[in-house]
Amino acid sequence: MSSSKLCWPTPNGLPALMPTAVLAVSILLLVISASSVELNLVRLFNAIPRMFDFASNLFVTPDWEYLPTLGANMLQTMEMTFLATSIALVISLPLGVMAAKNASPHPAIFHATRNLLTMMRALPELVWALVFVSAVGLGPLPGIMALSFVTIGFMGKFFAESIEVVDPRQVEGVVAHGASWLQLRTFAHFPQAFPDFVGTVMYILDHNLRAAAILGLVGAGGIGYDLVMAMRMFDYGRLLPIAISIYVVVTLLDRASDKFRRRLI
Amino acid sequence: MAQIDIKNVCKRYPNGFEALKGVSVEIAAGSFTVILGPSGAGKSTLLRTINGLETPTGGTIQISGQVVTQDTLREVRSQVGMVFQHFNLVDRLSVMTNVLTGRLSHRSWLGSLLYLFRREDIDLAHDALIRVGLTDKAWNRADKLSGGQQQRVGIARALAQQPRVILADEPVASLDPVTSEEIMGLLREICTRDGITVVVNLHQVELAKRFADRVIGLNDGLVVYDGPASGLDRATLSKIYNRNGDQVDEQLETMLAYA
Amino acid sequence: MSEQIISRPPLPKKPFNPTPVWLSAWLALMWVIVFDLELSFETLLYGVQDIFEYLSRYSTPNFEDLSRYIELLAQTLATALWGSALAFVVAVVLAPFAARNLTPNPLAYRVARELLNFMRAMPDLLLALIFVAALGLGPLPGALALGVHTAGFLGKFFAESFERVDGGVYEALSATGASRMQVVMYAGWPSIQREALGYVLYIFDRNVRMASVLGLVGAGGIGLALHDTLRMFNYDQSAALIIVILVTILIIDYLSTWLRGKLN
Repeated sequence: MSSSKLCWPTPNGLPALMPTAVLAVSILLLVISASSVELNLVRLFNAIPRMFDFASNLFVTPDWEYLPTLGANMLQTMEMTFLATSIALVISLPLGVMAAKNASPHPAIFHATRNLLTMMRALPELVWALVFVSAVGLGPLPGIMALSFVTIGFMGKFFAESIEVVDPRQVEGVVAHGASWLQLRTFAHFPQAFPDFVGTVMYILDHNLRAAAILGLVGAGGIGYDLVMAMRMFDYGRLLPIAISIYVVVTLLDRASDKFRRRLI
Repeated sequence: MAQIDIKNVCKRYPNGFEALKGVSVEIAAGSFTVILGPSGAGKSTLLRTINGLETPTGGTIQISGQVVTQDTLREVRSQVGMVFQHFNLVDRLSVMTNVLTGRLSHRSWLGSLLYLFRREDIDLAHDALIRVGLTDKAWNRADKLSGGQQQRVGIARALAQQPRVILADEPVASLDPVTSEEIMGLLREICTRDGITVVVNLHQVELAKRFADRVIGLNDGLVVYDGPASGLDRATLSKIYNRNGDQVDEQLETMLAYA
Repeated sequence: MSEQIISRPPLPKKPFNPTPVWLSAWLALMWVIVFDLELSFETLLYGVQDIFEYLSRYSTPNFEDLSRYIELLAQTLATALWGSALAFVVAVVLAPFAARNLTPNPLAYRVARELLNFMRAMPDLLLALIFVAALGLGPLPGALALGVHTAGFLGKFFAESFERVDGGVYEALSATGASRMQVVMYAGWPSIQREALGYVLYIFDRNVRMASVLGLVGAGGIGLALHDTLRMFNYDQSAALIIVILVTILIIDYLSTWLRGKLN
């Protein structure tokens, strides 16, 4: 039984080229970068008891007096998310049109908008937040600006791509009836691209809520500031409530967005 | 090689629908049996209780004396090959690998995790491919084949198991008439040459007449005919295909025309 | 021409169109939020005016520390790579249990799904803070945080892909007597391999972005450098750092899109 030859289900009995190559390259990259990431198994092992310690410390009497502030800050986080996403939605509609090859008014505008959108989404929200805090001061405003900025980058690109895959025959139909430039985009491009787009908006809303929860780290509003402070000062009475409220809100939105997307399909 | 004993099998679904209302049949070893019946008669359900894809709510199934239960499922299934209407091949894998999946119940945990097979397994798969006439397509991706070819791969997969029974659930429903003939012929030849017990669900009466030793007519979860293919006259067919007790002479003509 | 009065049969009653209602509700909500957050248009306007002046401070990037930046960049990429690898391993283990048509029993399904949800819900920055507290400063806690957080996403993506595979294929394999693991290996993964690879690339892309800011909580990488230079109002160096980050993300973005394009 064990003496019979083992081989792979390929003509020459050796493992298939693609999977093996991918595996080899991945392992190579990991090995090369192991020192950069300061991989140290001993250090990891030693950290385990500290993790348990931390976990046991979490279950401490919550800081009841803090709870109203927690609620207010969570609300602020949600408001930031909603406002930023809405603003981004409005702005990315025209930008998406300009960045779509088949709907853009001029090739130069097409390229310029495409590149602009790429730049806007390249940097993480936190980096933009840092910049905007320096510019307009602390508070939710720079956070909203940062979120909107990055969201416009994503939404604009996505919307442009949806426009580019619309059925050209439907477009032809509207053009044949003498539609103007704007009418064409409103009645032929937009209705086709929109359903897909709504699904993406839900996903972006979800992502932005998580991002908004962090922006407070740099003073750009939301629960992030409380979180980092509680962590730094080992204020366990606040840490668990904060973590739980983030978890609950994010999960609720997640489920709602799932249901919404299923209804669309 | 294996006799199938179906004793008083009932199947009732949670929503109250009774697919099988007490079916008792003994299928002789090495025979070629066709199950006929209208849609919803329970043909699929009956076939699937044999290899445990459906669990009966009453009655038992035995294959050569071994009772089909939750515990014996893997053992039973390794001996029972199945061919499906929609082929159910893994599209992205090669024909050869698809056939080899028939050997999985004999492979070790570690070996199958690493996609390793023994020389004997590959040889068995190769033999199965020769049997169905597809050796030249062995390394093609399964979804690049025609419908008839894909079904032959499905049959090869069943053969690779070295089964004692082959079940075919509407194997030709998605194929054109000429290809259907070929596939039915292949199944018949396998039964005759290897002595494998073959049970086929069909809705084409003509094919049943041509290839079956024995026909079981199922209607509304009960056996209404059990005999040779020659016994399929107008009266019998009416009995098999009537719904809710009405006489369906005109519909019979239509049915036979489409069969 | 004729004198006949054509009486039209009445049209069915026009169905209620909720769109204006939703639109008004949305605008109202936005207004309430602006009010509640005490956002002032003036601050924004002043801010925007200032912004041009402010942005001009970044116009002379200073690249003299470039070699150190590149080193930090390598660290950031390494963090993203290891984090993604960890996420992949965890997702591969959990996903079959979180797929309705592959899971052995409803309890396993619920547990796997909830575990993945939990990992997704915790912001990676929070996880990074916790791991830094346990392991000390450096890129390793960052990699762990990214790994745990994105495992939740990857696992969910994989599980959803599994659920979209035709159940008949899984059934056919079970019918040959294959074990659950074998069904997952031979019918599950081969069927979703293209999508799966696309998801992995997407997650790696995302992790590179996040890794670049994790430095802000001491989890190594280029983010820490940026934080320091900004705090000291060292705009020239900040500009250089931002450019380095930007270029890297753009390159990874481009590569990942190209690779995913080739996969389709």
